[in-house]
Parts: sequence; C-alpha cells; structure tokens
Amino acid sequence: MAAIVLRSFFPTPDSHVLYPSYILYFAARVGGESAGDGVGASLPLLQWSPDGILIGTGYGGMEDSVKFLKQIIEYEEGVLTPGPFVQSTANAIASQIGLFNHNKGYNTTYVHRGLAFESALIDAAMLVKEHPGNSYLVGGVDEISGHNYRFEQAEGWYKKEDFAGGDLYAADSPGSIAGEGAALFLLNDSPAGALARVIGIATLRGENEDAFRAALHLFLDRHLPDGKKPDLLLSGENGDSRALKWYTICEALLGLDVAVARFKHLCGEYPTAAAFALWLACTLPLKGSDHQTILIYNNYKFSQHSLILLEKFL
Amino acid sequence: MSRVFITGMGIISAVGASLAENRSALRAGKGGVTLCDRLPSRYAGILPFGKVGAGTDELNEKFKIADPGITRTTLLALHAFDDAISDARLTEAALSDPGTALIGATTVGGMCLTDELYRDTSNPCEGSAFLSSYDCASVHLYLQSRYKMQGFTTTINTACSSSANAIQFGARLIKNGLARKAIVGGTDSLAKFTINGFNALQILSSELCRPFDRDRAGLNLGEGAAFLVLEGEEALAGGGEEAAAGKKIYAELTGYCNTNDAYHPSALSLPGDGPYLAMEGALRSARLSAADIDFINTHGTATENNDEAESRAMVRLFGEPPVFVSTKSYTGHTLGASGAIEAVYSILSLAHQELYASLNFEQSIPGIGLRPIPAYKKAALRHVMSNSFGFGGNCTSLIFSNTR
Amino acid sequence: METAELKQQLKRQIIEFLNLTDTVPENIQDDKPLFGDEGLGLDSIDSLELIVLLNREYGIVIKDLKEGRKVLVDINSMAGYIEKNRTK
Repeated sequence: MAAIVLRSFFPTPDSHVLYPSYILYFAARVGGESAGDGVGASLPLLQWSPDGILIGTGYGGMEDSVKFLKQIIEYEEGVLTPGPFVQSTANAIASQIGLFNHNKGYNTTYVHRGLAFESALIDAAMLVKEHPGNSYLVGGVDEISGHNYRFEQAEGWYKKEDFAGGDLYAADSPGSIAGEGAALFLLNDSPAGALARVIGIATLRGENEDAFRAALHLFLDRHLPDGKKPDLLLSGENGDSRALKWYTICEALLGLDVAVARFKHLCGEYPTAAAFALWLACTLPLKGSDHQTILIYNNYKFSQHSLILLEKFL
Repeated sequence: MSRVFITGMGIISAVGASLAENRSALRAGKGGVTLCDRLPSRYAGILPFGKVGAGTDELNEKFKIADPGITRTTLLALHAFDDAISDARLTEAALSDPGTALIGATTVGGMCLTDELYRDTSNPCEGSAFLSSYDCASVHLYLQSRYKMQGFTTTINTACSSSANAIQFGARLIKNGLARKAIVGGTDSLAKFTINGFNALQILSSELCRPFDRDRAGLNLGEGAAFLVLEGEEALAGGGEEAAAGKKIYAELTGYCNTNDAYHPSALSLPGDGPYLAMEGALRSARLSAADIDFINTHGTATENNDEAESRAMVRLFGEPPVFVSTKSYTGHTLGASGAIEAVYSILSLAHQELYASLNFEQSIPGIGLRPIPAYKKAALRHVMSNSFGFGGNCTSLIFSNTR
Repeated sequence: METAELKQQLKRQIIEFLNLTDTVPENIQDDKPLFGDEGLGLDSIDSLELIVLLNREYGIVIKDLKEGRKVLVDINSMAGYIEKNRTK
C-alpha cells in the first residue's frame, strides 16, 4: 500500500496514514498569465472529468491586483472597472478551470508560498482516500509578473550580477533566477495507466539544521524499509549560495550512491516549483530498470521545506 | 475515522472583541454595522461598514508589536487566535506539538496596506518593510512563528468560503490521522482595495444590509477574525494534563462539503446549484437527512443574487427550510473570516440552545417567500448548518451537532 | 462626430477596454447583441466595465444597473445613448 504521510518538523511515530495515491497523468506549460496558464495546462486532463480541482499558487493574481490598485489611486476611488479585481483573486485559477469544465466538484486554492502546491497535494491525497475511485486534478501554478519580480529583486532573491545562462549551480553568489510555471496532475487510487505512485509527503518549517536532518532521516526511515535509499534525488538547489547548505545536508544524508539531478535551471525559482519537479519526475524515463524511487526535496526561501517521495514502475 | 470536536473559540468582529461580547450583541439583536470615520477610504462616513472597534495602534500595543509589517489583518487574527487557544486551554507544549496543525484563511492578507503597496509597486528598491507582508500566507506564517508551532501549517484563499474550507480541511487532517489537533479559522480587515473592488461590482449597499428582504440592495463590508480549536477523539481521550485542565467541548463537527457552482466568476446560478450540492453533500457526510437540521446560519450577504440563489437552493433541499438567520446583518460581510465567524455563531447557538434574530428584514422575496428568524428565542437544537458561498463559485457547507 | 464614426470608435474602445483579444471592429455588427451566447457573449462584469467606459470616455453617468441594461443592448443603442447624453 502506498502511503501519504504528513510530517512536521519533529515527526512523531504515530501520525501515520496509509492509502494509495497515484499520479495518472500530467500536463505542464510555462509562460503567460496564471489563470490562462492553469486552464491551458489542465486541458488534457479535463477529459477524465476530475471529481475536484485543487490548486496551489504563491503569487496569486499580483498583476491584476496592481492593475486594480492603480485605478484606485488614479481615479481616487471613483468609478472603477471590476474586471481586474475579480481576476486578481487567488482562487481565480481553480475556479476558471472549474468553470471551463462545468465542474461542480471539490474546488480549493492554497496560497502558502513555498508549500502551497504541497498543501493541495496533501488535500488531494486525503480526498483520494476518502472517496475511493474518484480522481482529482491538482496543480501548482505561478506566473511571473513585473511586480512580483521587482519585489523579489528588491529583497535579494534573484542574482544581482549579470547571469546569461551560465552554470546556475556554480555561481557561488546569493540569489537565484526568476521562474514561473503551471504543472497539473490527476491523482487517484488506481495503478492502471499510472505514471507514478506518491509514497509520502512532508512539509517542514524552520532553519534548525539538526531538526531538519532528524526530520529527513525519519521520513526516509518511515517510507523506505531496511535503510533503503531513493534511486534519485531531484534537488531544488537554485544557485542561491545561502540555501546551498540545506541541499548539502540532504545529499550527505542520502550518501554518494544516490544520483542527484537538479531542476531549477529549467524552471527558475518560484513558490510552486515543486510541481514542476513532480512533472519532471513523472516524465523521466526509467533507465534500465522496472522500478525507481525518486525523492524531491525543495527549499523555498530557506525556511519552507518539502519532501515528496515517488515510486515509478513500468 | 476519528470524531472531531470544538474545544475552544476566539473571535473579534464589529459586535465585540470576545466570545462573550459577540454573544451579548447577538442576544440583544444589536448590530455593529455603522458609518465610521476612521477608515482608510473616501467611503468612510458614506457607506456603512462592520468595523472592529479596536484601532490598529491599540492592537499593536496589546500584543507588544513594533514591526510595521504586521498588518491589521494579522493583528485581528492574532487576537482571535490567542483567545481561542486560551479558551481551549492549550499549553505551550500542545501548541508546539507536531500533531497540532494551523489552517488559516484570508482574502485580503496584507492588501490592507493599499497605499504602501502602491508606493512599493512604483519604487520597490527603497527597502520597504512591507514587501513580504502583502500576501495571504504572511498572516499564518507569523502566527506559526510567534507561537512556535511545529505542526502542518497552510493558508487557504477561496474568497468568501475560505475559513469554512479551513475548518473542513483541518477536521479532515485529524480524521485521516495527519494531525491530532487543528487550530482553524480566518481573518480579513477592511481595506481600500476590497472596498473599491466590491463598489466597482456595484454590490455595496448605501444602507444597512437587509438579508433575504425583497428590497435588499447589496452587502455591507465588515472585518474580523475567528479561530476554532478542533480536537480528535484520541487527543481528548488522552487524559492527563489536558483532562485535568477541564477542557470543554462546545460541539462536534459532523458534516462538511465543498462544491463549486461553476456558473460565473462573481455570481451564483439562480437555481443555486453550488449551494444546493454543498448542503446536500454536508448532510450526506453527516449521515443526516434534511429534516434533522434545526437551524441554518446562511451566507445571506443581502446581494440580489446571493439571497435569491441561496433561498432557491434551501427550498429545493428542505422543502420548507428550518429556521435561519444571516448574522452578516450584525457584522457585515467579513469575507475570508466569515466562514469561521459564522461557525462560531452557529456553535454558540448550539451550545446555548438559542437563536438570534436576523436584522433588517421586513418583506420576503416575491415568488420565494422565506422569512429569516425575527427575534431572539430559546430553542432545542441538535444539528445546525453553516453555509459560505464565495466568488469563483466556491461553496462550502458545515454541520455542527450537539454533544450533550 | 458622425454616427458611423462614433460606432467605429466605440467598437475599438470596447475591444480595448474589455481586452477582447480575439475580435476586431469588423466582427461586431451594429445590431449584434452584446450579451448572451448569440451575441458578443459579454457577461455581467463586462456590463459594469462598459458603464465605466461610458463614464470615462463620454462623461455619462449610469447609476442604475437596470437602466444600464436598457442602454447596453447593441452598438446601435449604445451609440444612440452616447449621442444624446455625452458630456465629453
């Protein structure tokens, strides 16, 4: 049986639940307006008539928010157009997918920055358990907007030096590169036609290295029997020298036998980048084996950590 | 799956800064929506609002906060959260336990800093103190840090049903064994951003709102916050320190359902499909029939669209709906906080076996004819339903049951 | 301004204001209903936006949504109303 297990910073042995959750299909698209992105990326999956739609988004509708905000100031709270206000709401993505699909099922949006997508995934996994046979569309969607970019830049989250596509991971300087994306998945409890099985998810918050080490150790111990290690670590290392230590701790704990692949040079840094990693994990071909476990570790702005453990099989 | 009980509540709204004050106002039929001058908007003194009495400075002082990046939205949440955990007698150890989740909700987040956001979008390089305060997550990340919580924490934004969703999600974490306790709720503060947004949609009333009335002319915006402490059977049966602390049980959360109306971004379908499916789903999840519901705390915003759609859905499901109220006639529409605030009011009704008057109602909607409860009265209540319907068609229905 | 010219201008303004990226003025017939599936397919939010357009471009104030619905039927009705009531 597959397990989705929630872990907090100090995992307790008895917060355990076992139920299967499979990723049936995926669709991803990068670039454009977030709601449009979300709807566009969801199109191939909607043919399976999901029983619910769950979206995680960190940036929400910043561009439309600012558009409306500028009207407020320019017209001194006078006669304003409501369109940008309605479109700026974070749940616009999930509700537009629902509208497009005439979908009256479960519909929700998580906005918890670097753990927004993971929250949606955990909720979807619980739904899969609560409603056997149902399938749920779950995704992470974030759009680059000029305003988000400038805010992140002002706070030092992006490289200050000229960075013309060189080796992001060799840069040895603070900051990463801006990114955006929409990755959606269909989750249910049936292995037939599935791309992968989600074994476990953990979300953690904090910057205590020992506690992180302990949590990671316990997560692996819980899900991979007899000291087994995953075949591959998909690492969210993003070129920010200040975040490197978290990935170093993770790699050290896993040991030299575990292959490491990084993904942020492909998608850039944004709150729901783990969704992109999940998509990548689903698409990577199985090399010379019929079975593979992949651990995704992502760190967002140092203090939000997520672990997703997947199993792939032919 | 574990049963889920409410063991503590905290609330702040236009009618009071404590559970007792809120209940007092509800019993007296005394609403808190007024024309107020102290609002960061040109509509201050022109449109009625359900403003919380405490000023931002007062809240900052109460919680000894010097950081200007802690917004009014967060301060309201802090007030309600602090009361809820005291009410549930949660110790520091319980708060820091990894099995204690925090599920929050807000639609405004830091957008109440409308002018600061405008300044920052024009010139973000000036090192503003607010850059990481504008989003919704900032509220609950702050609470998590301040109370040193180590359990799962997240933030939901599904417009006006946000905190109702926080409640059902927190409950499901407990039922699925992913948490032992969950502190769930929501907050929103009055902001130039939302005031103008709703005004642009032409759904703000220039008078006190009149839920379910034939002549209703729109909603009054309000602000506030509420948090509820949910505990699973296991946590309560634990005994020891917690049992000795004399924990009270207000009610049990017995049913919930989240559906989508899938009709329009900012209006409900007139048959009220989303509301109907949400209420029906909640009954199914509680294994109750329509006849078992003794009372409904409606969404009842007093917009032409909502009240008609909601009424039609109630008639469709119940035939003759049970007694119902719109407490937005007391608090205004508190957006992201409304689900939690109205859950608290529903539980107060249940715990004290009483019903509060729905204010500002005179004539029923032609062709539907429903009348909300006109006056306070004591009543035998076993199961109550609380509904929240938001933009984007997000509909959530909750059922609370008496445990006595 | 000639009526025909006003109608052309109005069509361009509507496209720009409502961000109707997949249509051009030539596709909007003067008597094509603005709302509903058989027409341009605008919805209630678009009607509010058009009321703002009338305010900003032509200085016309429509306070009542119901009054607005009578005006916002098609390009002909809008142009007619503008000609009678514009202050800009």
